[in-house]
Amino acid sequence: MNLDSLFKKKKVSFDFYEIDLLSASDKNLKEISDRMGLAISGEEMKRIKEYFQTKNRNPTDIELEALGQAWSEHCCYKSSKIPLKQHIYGIKEDKIIAREDAGVIEFDDDHYYCAALESHNHPSAIEPYGGAATGVGGIVRDIVCMGAQPIAYIDPLFFGPLDITFDKLPKGVKHPVYLFKGVVDGIRDYGNRIGIPTLSGQVYFHEGYTGNCLVNVGCIGIMKKEEMIHSRAKAPGNVYVYVGGKTGRDGIHGVTFASAELTDESEESSRSAVQVGDPITKEPVIHTTLECNRKGLLEGLKDFGGGGLSCVCGELAYAAGFGAEIHLDDIPLKEEGLHPWEIWVSESQERMMFLVKPENVDKVLHICKQWDVTAVPVGKVIKEKITRVFYKGEKILEMDLDFLTGGPVYDSCTRPFAPIDTEKHKKTEKSFTMPNLNDSLKKLLASHNICSKEWVIRQYDHEVRGNTVIKPLQGKINAESHGDATVLKPLENSFRGLAVTADINPRFMERDPYWGACSAVDEVCRNLVAVGSKPDSLLDCLNFGNPEKPERMGEFYEACRGLGNMARELQLPFVSGNVSFYNESVKTAVPPTPELFGVGIAPDIRKCITSDLKKEGNPIYLVGKQTEEEMGGSEYYKIMGIEGGDVPKTDTGILSKCMKGILSAIGKEYIASCHDVSEGGIGVCLSEMIIGGDIGTIVDLSNVSKKLRSDFKLFSESNTRWVLEGEKQSKKDFEEALKKEDVPFIKIGKTKGRKLIINEGENALINLDINTLRNIWKNAIWNIMG
Amino acid sequence: MKTKDVKIAILRIEGTNCEQESHDAFKRLGANPEFVHLKQLLNIDCNQDEKRDIFDYQCLMIPGGFSAGDYIRAGAIFAARIKSKLQKKLVEFVKQEYPILGICNGFQVLTELGLLPGIDNIVSSSPEACLNINDSNRFECRPTLLKHENNGKCVFSSKIPKNDIRLIPSAHAEGKLLFPLNKQKKCLDALEENDQIVFRYVDPDGNYAGYPWNPNGSISNIAGICNSQGNVFGMMPHPERTFYRHQHPDWTSTGLNDDSGDGRAIFESVLEYICKKI
Repeated sequence: MNLDSLFKKKKVSFDFYEIDLLSASDKNLKEISDRMGLAISGEEMKRIKEYFQTKNRNPTDIELEALGQAWSEHCCYKSSKIPLKQHIYGIKEDKIIAREDAGVIEFDDDHYYCAALESHNHPSAIEPYGGAATGVGGIVRDIVCMGAQPIAYIDPLFFGPLDITFDKLPKGVKHPVYLFKGVVDGIRDYGNRIGIPTLSGQVYFHEGYTGNCLVNVGCIGIMKKEEMIHSRAKAPGNVYVYVGGKTGRDGIHGVTFASAELTDESEESSRSAVQVGDPITKEPVIHTTLECNRKGLLEGLKDFGGGGLSCVCGELAYAAGFGAEIHLDDIPLKEEGLHPWEIWVSESQERMMFLVKPENVDKVLHICKQWDVTAVPVGKVIKEKITRVFYKGEKILEMDLDFLTGGPVYDSCTRPFAPIDTEKHKKTEKSFTMPNLNDSLKKLLASHNICSKEWVIRQYDHEVRGNTVIKPLQGKINAESHGDATVLKPLENSFRGLAVTADINPRFMERDPYWGACSAVDEVCRNLVAVGSKPDSLLDCLNFGNPEKPERMGEFYEACRGLGNMARELQLPFVSGNVSFYNESVKTAVPPTPELFGVGIAPDIRKCITSDLKKEGNPIYLVGKQTEEEMGGSEYYKIMGIEGGDVPKTDTGILSKCMKGILSAIGKEYIASCHDVSEGGIGVCLSEMIIGGDIGTIVDLSNVSKKLRSDFKLFSESNTRWVLEGEKQSKKDFEEALKKEDVPFIKIGKTKGRKLIINEGENALINLDINTLRNIWKNAIWNIMG
Repeated sequence: MKTKDVKIAILRIEGTNCEQESHDAFKRLGANPEFVHLKQLLNIDCNQDEKRDIFDYQCLMIPGGFSAGDYIRAGAIFAARIKSKLQKKLVEFVKQEYPILGICNGFQVLTELGLLPGIDNIVSSSPEACLNINDSNRFECRPTLLKHENNGKCVFSSKIPKNDIRLIPSAHAEGKLLFPLNKQKKCLDALEENDQIVFRYVDPDGNYAGYPWNPNGSISNIAGICNSQGNVFGMMPHPERTFYRHQHPDWTSTGLNDDSGDGRAIFESVLEYICKKI
């Protein structure tokens, strides 16, 4: 049948169509989905047709659009449900107070903290500034809609190599320098303006991200226990109050756009899917929302995320077993002439939906008015589990919520997955002669995955709110080095601290998604422990390629298995997460990137420590697991151009012992500084400690894994290791404390002078002065980004 | 007057965002700060119990942030809104020697209002200085060291010994103090002569040392100035962010001592001034 004839214009005063599904052939069904940009598969269209057959009528355009939103990959996780259920859920669930837009966990007797992590990948690849800014705007709403005050952002970013030449860029792909700058500008201008500190995160460069950069955004908040609010209605009669920015054509089909691969035409076809952020509308929306909540005026609260009004109205009612009646006439619009379906699915930013008792509506409107925030009652909760939408006197949508919001359940139909071949990387390993190690260390320090990220960090206000007590850059003023984690003191009258870090090693992941995922959990724990905090919870943002390809699903399963196994053994719950598939463009998929965000609790921030060396004459230790020839995916192999090798493995037994031992030593103030060993191994770890402290060291690696080659000793990235600077006066107590906890350690040297000197017995391995190290490390990104 | 009776208006509009920590700084010292939305002073959209008058307070503070987004010159919109209806009362407030503090965006607002530099008059009809885009052309969040150079005029720094170096961090994109080019020298001389220069950016040895010690390229390394009366004070760095030692960026190596931070004295000074005055 002719496709055009299936779209029947209704005789009303506005543009409104009925779509003749009942007469459509199977082929037509898919064509309808494509034409409307719904990203609904042919199979799913058949189910929709069946539904409307039982209703004995055809759907309207807005009904199909609503289904497109509600059923897309992004909204209801159709590919990921099973592996997530199998591996990620069910760990220490009793600790999780709520898991809605953000996960909620106890902070102390009177407070909860809440955290969320999301991806904003596709929008940022098309329009880096707007995409990243609205990512920040979206995640902060997830925190606010639990009733919490946002207190920090974490923004892990992944780009192609900054030095890639233009002729190597696939068609339609933007240069990494442009994307990097645009994304950082976007986060800076939005994050700084709404007054929430951005504590950085991680920045990683890899060929696999050239065609599809990743922008993940995390946020953490704090609230009094009684202030927690849920994203569900309390009773029929609750009034829907629309609050915040106006609705426009920006951000239409954002959800469906995220559920397909990027192509060289994405720029043309999907530009309208990227929303426009407005932090100065958002900032007072945060104030009004939290104020209304504190005053007990809200029954339910949800932010507008993917799917716009369509999802927010349905989900608030559905979660409580009710329905909704909404009038689109009252929705504040940015421009005239929007079709009703556009109003219903637009993802314009800065909007919140309050549910309010009728008698409290005026009070809420007054508070909003004081902040000049738009607020309009637009509908009410009803008893039947149905969503009804009215526009200009016409009923334009009427659907059962079980069908619309419940979404298709895929438990019985898993996507096929292929087993992962981790051997293929090992085969290519070849022997090579050891290079000049001073040169190697210099190259490593200049590697963009290791060098200073000051260019990024200083553009973010990481101190606003005055709670950042351990900063992202640590050490002597204007000579600072990277820290392992950042620590906040969220409460005025308590010294209890929250530590945050974000980690993943994509080069491990592409070689072995299982051990790569395990390594990420290990690294998160190492980082949290290094500042003196006990790991408390994890968040995951699982960025993968196209799930319809079995090898991508294979990677996904292996990564989930790794994350789950580690977390289960360590009893760390995943409080919140996000799955982002289709991170794939014309050329290649991204390396599997399950970004991990870890939260730790520091019992007393006054005991926290940093990575910069503190004073001369202190002993230096290597603590933790044995250093092994686990060179696969290491930065050292990368600069040497070697593909092969084993990726580092993990051992939760040693990890648990080390965490306990180190935390107890930090609590007793035996440790002056601590840094985890990761990219670039012991060589880079010591360099960073020296750079921040502006104090040199003399170290001997003879007793470190005696049979290992010197370059592997220096640059192996084996897990579960830290370099510690002990306090000289408590050397004995410290060593005894570690022995008591059965923590492996080796004293490798002491702080001294103005140089990094690393020997192996008589052999000098490294001999470089602080300023040389610092200049190379500090300038690498500045030299490109200026 | 007793400290506990001192009322401070922490003035805000949309995009003001350092109000909580500024409020807390006064509160920790036992004073009585209150968040006041500009509309409460202008009597717009207020219930009876929400109306406020500037003379309800003994001190006015404009905190940091990005008021109204700072999409045109930083602070200009906030200043224009104040000017439209509050100008007369504000001038009277200054004349009666009540103190006004502007930090970061607040400094920009006071400059746009014409209350700073306030060399010849209490207020100028158009701005006589501006806080221009940093020389680096980007937002800079970094620790800065300030040397206290005031000889006693400024009521916000009286508890800091002269030539003391204080760690008070900066976080701004527009902090470079500039005067009209043809009056630059004259203005600087007048500021020196009237004892209006309060803080200058220095390195750890107290030298004027250029970027990054001076994070924005401010003329003559100026970080903060007061008016010729000494009761209106603006500075780019954030003293509320080093109220405690544990907020300092390097406390893990320099130690916490009594946990008193370098910025605290700003708030103590003005409270002492108010208590003595009234």
